[in-house]
Amino acid sequence: MTNMDFLAIGPEVAVTAAAVLLLMVEVGGKPPKWVWGWIAGLGVAAALGLSIAQWVLGRGADANTYFSDMLVLDGFAAFGGIVVFTLTALGLAASWRLVASLQRRGAEFVALVLIAAAGMHLMAASAHLIMLFVALEVMSISFYVLVGITRNRADADEAALKYFLLGAFASAVFLYGIALVFAGTGHLSLYGEEDFLGATVILRPGVLLAGIAMLIVGLGFKVSAAPFHVWAPDVYQGAPSGITGFLAAGAKVGGFAALARVLTVSFDAYSDDWAPAVAVLAVASVVIGTLLAITQEDIKRMLAYSSVAHAGFILLALTAGDAGVEAVWFYVATYAIQVVAAFAVVAAVTGAAGGRSPLDAYTGLGRRSPILAGSLGLMMLAMAGIPLTTGFIGKIGVFRAAIDAGYLWAVITALVATVAGLYFYLRVIVRMYMDAPEEAAPAIPVPAGVGWTLALTSAATVALGIAPWPLLNMLRDAIPL
Amino acid sequence: MDFPILTTLIVLPMAAGIAVLLLPRRRPELALPVAIASSLLPLGAALWMLVQFETGVGGFQFVEDVSWYQPWGISYHLGVDGISLLLVVLTALLFPISLLASTSIKDRIHGYAASMLFLEAGIIGVFLALDLVVFFVFWEVMLVPMYFIIGVWGGGRRVYAAIKFFLFTAFGSALMLAGILSLAFLARDQLGAPTFDFVKLLDVDLARTAQFWLFAAFGLSFAIKVPLFPLHTWLPDAHVEAPTAGSVILAGVLLKMGTYGLIRFNLTLFPEATVGLVPVLATLAVIGIVYGAVVAIVQKDIKRLVAYSSVSHLGFVVLGIFALTVQGLQGGVIQMVNHGLTTGALFLLVGMIYERRHTREISQFGGLGSVMPIYAGVFLFTAFASIGLPGLNGFVGEFYILMGSFLTLPVWAIIAATGVVLAAVYLLWAYQRMFTGPITVEENRGLRDLSVREIVILAPLVALIVFLGVYPKPALERIEPSVDAILHRIEQTTDYRVPDFGAGVVITVGEHGE
Repeated sequence: MTNMDFLAIGPEVAVTAAAVLLLMVEVGGKPPKWVWGWIAGLGVAAALGLSIAQWVLGRGADANTYFSDMLVLDGFAAFGGIVVFTLTALGLAASWRLVASLQRRGAEFVALVLIAAAGMHLMAASAHLIMLFVALEVMSISFYVLVGITRNRADADEAALKYFLLGAFASAVFLYGIALVFAGTGHLSLYGEEDFLGATVILRPGVLLAGIAMLIVGLGFKVSAAPFHVWAPDVYQGAPSGITGFLAAGAKVGGFAALARVLTVSFDAYSDDWAPAVAVLAVASVVIGTLLAITQEDIKRMLAYSSVAHAGFILLALTAGDAGVEAVWFYVATYAIQVVAAFAVVAAVTGAAGGRSPLDAYTGLGRRSPILAGSLGLMMLAMAGIPLTTGFIGKIGVFRAAIDAGYLWAVITALVATVAGLYFYLRVIVRMYMDAPEEAAPAIPVPAGVGWTLALTSAATVALGIAPWPLLNMLRDAIPL
Repeated sequence: MDFPILTTLIVLPMAAGIAVLLLPRRRPELALPVAIASSLLPLGAALWMLVQFETGVGGFQFVEDVSWYQPWGISYHLGVDGISLLLVVLTALLFPISLLASTSIKDRIHGYAASMLFLEAGIIGVFLALDLVVFFVFWEVMLVPMYFIIGVWGGGRRVYAAIKFFLFTAFGSALMLAGILSLAFLARDQLGAPTFDFVKLLDVDLARTAQFWLFAAFGLSFAIKVPLFPLHTWLPDAHVEAPTAGSVILAGVLLKMGTYGLIRFNLTLFPEATVGLVPVLATLAVIGIVYGAVVAIVQKDIKRLVAYSSVSHLGFVVLGIFALTVQGLQGGVIQMVNHGLTTGALFLLVGMIYERRHTREISQFGGLGSVMPIYAGVFLFTAFASIGLPGLNGFVGEFYILMGSFLTLPVWAIIAATGVVLAAVYLLWAYQRMFTGPITVEENRGLRDLSVREIVILAPLVALIVFLGVYPKPALERIEPSVDAILHRIEQTTDYRVPDFGAGVVITVGEHGE
């Protein structure tokens, strides 16, 4: 074992150690809540620092695999770590109200978030299908618990159960996909797969293609791509608002990182077979997500359907294979920031532990809380893809990639859907700024954690929307090798 | 490098908007004066540019070109030529005026003033951008402040109007974005690297089919903005529901972004498609001229009447553009400016009477001429300019357009000429009902005439209406080289030939006698 071995798993060790320490301290001493904050904060900061170290040392070099081909350290994995742990820090800061309201179980909550983060990063860093499955489950099981953490709301329990049953089913499909791929190629290592398929002509690839399809289905469920999206609205709505943003963003980051690496590394040789399927999924997601979002009266359900549409936009870029990964990363990273910010506002407006968040609660928010309304408005414009926000650059990126790959029809469909999507994003702005609030609607205070999250996310959304090239240049090193 | 005057023109209003937002909320009375004062800065910069502009040169001037993101081929490329020059100056002029006309707005004045200034930055950016992505950014981003201006500070059905305005425009621009991206990839196949740079894209040789598709993608977006019949349905709602300043800006400069886009991009990038589609666009333009005028006649609301008159007048502009003659194009460009001045003034006048009476029903007025003589005089003067009375600016534009289009599209020009007659019908009939005769409604008896502030608002517009009507040469000679360049390019790339002026009317004497 060398030092690089430890670096490859360093971020996971840091957050997992923080989670374990947190639980032990909690059992031992009943410390005040700020102790949780410090432990979690230090753990996430260490993980972020190690991810940056991975980035500095690992990007650009040949992909090195560690622990018997289980983990890989390259620019892709390192960038995934930077995104995941930034997201974790923002998500925890925004959900601190929820943590406080959970009493002693708050420690469990924080530990689960840290473990989920470890799983998310592993999904970007796995070099082996079995490792990938373990990572997927680490993330998913933490998520199932987090959705139902409030325990006293029936809709939260329903959401957790629904997520768990459907998620378990998707995991089973994914596992079956792994088995079929193994049957088709005799390999489980992603790089072994690549070498084998690059050097071998399979005369009857039916079993392999069925395996690839099942892998796409399993991960498509995690990123809520249509038609595997039906869980999303109920889960988003039932989950406590304080953590919904982290769940939504994290599942997207982990899912797309895994999907991008598996498809562009292992099955690059079969891209002519899977790219059209991905394009169809993309268009289905964009159209279904947009159309169903229009009719929603609850902002969390609306954001759930809009996340289906966004999954479609990101899938569009994947049709270009390697060339699209840059666009995938830009879109995923910036969209994750937008989602976390949007749900931070939701948590502040209708309660961090609450489920439902009807649009009516946002009437006149522009007067009741200019900061919350301004941030949510900005995020709506960014998700709608209005220029000078990251949403626009992200959309340009994915459309470029898809047109280059020959999917102009898909891009035009997606563009028309974008316009339809404007309707529901603008509707939120109408509620906040153009409808008068009811008499004596109270002003809404902004918790410190939410305030910080909103300030950072808004600044990033605008700054990277005007000057995206630092991130874009960085992403050229974040392509899986 | 020279002083970046064009960036200054975009940054000044943007910075002013941010400054207004940072003013203390406790002092709402400060916001509007600060906004008005700071909007004079871009006006000064625009006038400086107008003076420094070199007449008689067809190309772009004050060019700024910085790479924005090299691998995607996007560059921050700005420039101004004879076509955009006057539109930028018009924009910079109309904003201080419309801000000065916004004193009736009390609610959330900081946001209002900042929205107006951001809107100004966006519109000026549209006219200056020479990179398609940068153009698209400004084109799309300027929707947001306009959406707020209509939706927050507008009239009764403001939310409906604001969303309709946003969705119509965004639908067009979605297809334009697909066109822009495709164009960049077509360019990559020929130039080796993708580019969105308008000037570099002129070197790309596009196949005929590609030209038609791209023309449609760009053209639909611009046609919605103009608006060309039958895509005009957003316009009456948006104009009527917007606050006065919003209507002035909408009619005065926003609509011109559409006609400007047609000239700048469709005519030059897709010449073959342009020549092929002349009958279609000219027909739509003429339908718009007649339809807009006829609908304007029957309007009961004076603001709606002015709104429909815009449909008619913009039809003239489009007809002039697609006549593809020097006179037609020149007329089209100058008519954009003229329409901005006259319709801007008409909307301001409508806003002033609305502030007094809180109604715009024509039937609620009558005999106003006796209580508000100055107002009535300015109204009649502006109406004459809009109709195209010789000596006022509207005449110059319409004369050039009709002359230019008669050379290539005689039938269309003859039908279009009826639009001038109809304009006289709707405007003069409205004047007659509102201003002449005895006072019919008692509330109108005590109305006060224009205040000094209102006269100050209208004076520059009135002066320019007279100036451009009597002496349009300075404007025309700045437009002409750029128009020539566009037509020259069309002649080079297609077998279309611009007819010599006069060739159609030379009377051959004596030949019959032999």
